[in-house]
Amino acid sequence: MYRFLFTYLFCASFLEFSAQGFQVNFQGQKQQGMGFAGTAIFQDASSIFYNAGSIAFSNENSVNVSVTPIFANVLYVDSATGGAYRTENPVGTPFCAYGLFQHKKNAKFKFGFGIYTPFGSTVQWEDNWIGRFAITRLKLQAIYIQPTISYRLSKKIGIGGGFIYSKGSVNLQKDIPVQDSLGNYSHVELNGKAAGFGFNLGVNFQINDKISLGLSYRSKIKMNVKQGEADFSVPSSLASNFPNGYFSGTLPLPDVATIGFAYKTSPKCTFVLDINHVGWKSYDTLAFDYEENTTSLVDTKSPRNYKNIIAFRAGAEYKVSEVLSLRCGGGFGFTPVQDGYLTPETPDANRIYGTLGISYRFTNRFSMDASLYYTHLKRAGRNIETNLNGTFTTKALAPGFSIIYNW
Amino acid sequence: MKYVINYYWGLLFILLFCACKPKFTKEEVSKGEINPTRFVMIGGGHTAGYMDDALYNEGQENSLANLISKQLALVGGEQTFNQALVSPNSVGIGLSGSARFILGFKTDCKGVEALSPLRISSAGDASILSVNTYNSMQTFQNFGIPGLKLNNVSTPNYGSINPFFGRMASSTTTTVLSDALASEPTFFSVFLGIEDVLDFAKSGGTDDNMPTVSAFENDYTEVVESLLNNGAKGVLAKIPDITKMPYFTTIPWNGLSLDEENSISLNNFYNQLGYSFQIGINPFMIVDSSANIFPVRQILENELFLLSLPLDSVKCHKMGTLFPIRDEFVLDLNELQTLRNRIAGYNGVISSLATQYGLAIVNSDSFFANLNDGFIYNGVSMSAKFVSGGAYSLDGIHFNAKGNALLANEFLKSINQKYNSRIPLLNANSYDGIYFP
Repeated sequence: MYRFLFTYLFCASFLEFSAQGFQVNFQGQKQQGMGFAGTAIFQDASSIFYNAGSIAFSNENSVNVSVTPIFANVLYVDSATGGAYRTENPVGTPFCAYGLFQHKKNAKFKFGFGIYTPFGSTVQWEDNWIGRFAITRLKLQAIYIQPTISYRLSKKIGIGGGFIYSKGSVNLQKDIPVQDSLGNYSHVELNGKAAGFGFNLGVNFQINDKISLGLSYRSKIKMNVKQGEADFSVPSSLASNFPNGYFSGTLPLPDVATIGFAYKTSPKCTFVLDINHVGWKSYDTLAFDYEENTTSLVDTKSPRNYKNIIAFRAGAEYKVSEVLSLRCGGGFGFTPVQDGYLTPETPDANRIYGTLGISYRFTNRFSMDASLYYTHLKRAGRNIETNLNGTFTTKALAPGFSIIYNW
Repeated sequence: MKYVINYYWGLLFILLFCACKPKFTKEEVSKGEINPTRFVMIGGGHTAGYMDDALYNEGQENSLANLISKQLALVGGEQTFNQALVSPNSVGIGLSGSARFILGFKTDCKGVEALSPLRISSAGDASILSVNTYNSMQTFQNFGIPGLKLNNVSTPNYGSINPFFGRMASSTTTTVLSDALASEPTFFSVFLGIEDVLDFAKSGGTDDNMPTVSAFENDYTEVVESLLNNGAKGVLAKIPDITKMPYFTTIPWNGLSLDEENSISLNNFYNQLGYSFQIGINPFMIVDSSANIFPVRQILENELFLLSLPLDSVKCHKMGTLFPIRDEFVLDLNELQTLRNRIAGYNGVISSLATQYGLAIVNSDSFFANLNDGFIYNGVSMSAKFVSGGAYSLDGIHFNAKGNALLANEFLKSINQKYNSRIPLLNANSYDGIYFP
């Protein structure tokens, strides 16, 4: 006869996750050594990523395999308690592999194939950290596979384009502020796989012997998670409030447009400058749609409100001898994360970085490149969704190596 | 070339180990203008660490007073804070003699099993109240005493009236205030007044022994002036609107859900008195002596049921319909007005005393109001909802450890603001909430 409205509601927003994971630019050791710039010149097979038009000016068959371990650590200092918490990130290992082919010497058509990881990160916070109910771990991976074709229109103009198939995965974990009979907090792990399609276009102008110009565009890719698995560890009395099941969501990986310049002051010395425009604005909301909703488990929509950004990247290369080259570079990038939206999964800030690079040619066919990247970020703020209020400091160091074989 | 590579590796590893961890420099803390050496707090159950309707060890360890003292210790306060601790294994004892609540499954009169507060044991641990724990070498600092009203702070022989004081009193004749002063506070806090209005509220307005505002002013002034005598500084706290606590807000006024048959039979019965019922949700019937020739009426929106309401009688024995709910389970609009006016009067007294004596003041009334609206604390939604809100213990009146940590932070913020100190706040997320089976 009488029904009582006793409900045990839990915070509606306990599930949310972000996925900027910073954009990873470790796609070619030579460009890395020069501040990640190189859209205006052909460097090696990695130019398949930087500018598909530039490979029209190559004259080789080559393969290029590269890896760049990232050592990144974040320190969070909570403004109210003064408590300090750190990430225990595993070493990230962005890799890339490229192949570049022509059917005859000086052919106008070039064919390329690239596999690279332009987005991704793992953020693992220490146990029991103050923001454990916002995030404990986020692992994002996106691998792009890009077959590419390039054509030399004239001695001065090369164009190219590639189709991109992207495959990715997300693993998000956080604690839920509900304790079991022993006082342990509940936990949720979301696991999803996603795939998407896009393209990459590039034009390269060799204006004269000294000056060249490059334009490239990599499209936005929508990564759709369809049957992600949500796995809850909660007290048995609440198991029906948090049913294990499927979720879906979309993660936009933004488009990147680049204009690049190169200037050769002498046959030994080259300066490059790239300006990127990254369409992060497409990442305005992070939504999770659970197949089975309960009073405790509702679909979530977390505002991200990223903004489009530009980044400046510049570098120089000096050929010491026929076999040895040295490089250095640096850059500045604005953050897409606006005030109020700073999150522990992406403690992003405007960043300044510096890079170094070296190449050595062992034989006519075999050479190696290495590079080193360093950056230091610091940003304070309150997140409007979680009210986490503190200062994030990030240090990242990334030494990279590649092996190149050409014939 | 090999050397170049080796050198590079060496350099690399040095860099990895030195450069890759951001350095943590501890933020400066400072005691500002206070002397935190010896902290003493006077208050009621909320200060004592009374929670889940009992005084028990874990509650005391997470008492408001103890949590504040922990932070004062970071700026030079004593590392130990003496409380009259109950044995860790005890089931505790409440003002009514019962053991503490835990959350468990209860089957109601209709055979429906649901999560509900249950007593951890059939009886409270009476030995807690029969043993005196006073030690002249370690005088107590937490004078948070369950049931302590302002006008009892200076009552001689209070230990024999309230055994929660009796168990920690220095003698049978002593007063709470003189024992507190004997502890020689260099910094103090007063959080009195809730117990003065709680009896009225918990009795549904039938037990009116709330002091007048002028009596409250006299007593409060005496307490503050005594504590100030040896040059101590302190922090006072206002009284929250206790009617927003889950004890008074959990049972909905219109929780009477009727089908067609039942609405017809109730209408046949009550239409002649001018009350009608519909299919769906309806207000319950309550007793009100001034309502009618028959002293019954429907409860109004904004009037409150108490958590003491026997729900099985409501669900299965027509309480709230044919048998109207008695006054002791209801706060009607008049009673609420009386209660809120009185609290506002007391708070006026506390504010002006704080101003007059240059003391810090905690606007605990606005903190409790914020909690009612709900807020997000470091990723956790906190509210005043029973059980699920995260801050209240299972008695619906006192906070759990997490709630105490949040409230302690309000005290610390007020101290920091008034005395230019920099005392770090507590991470409330590291304190326990309710345990679920």
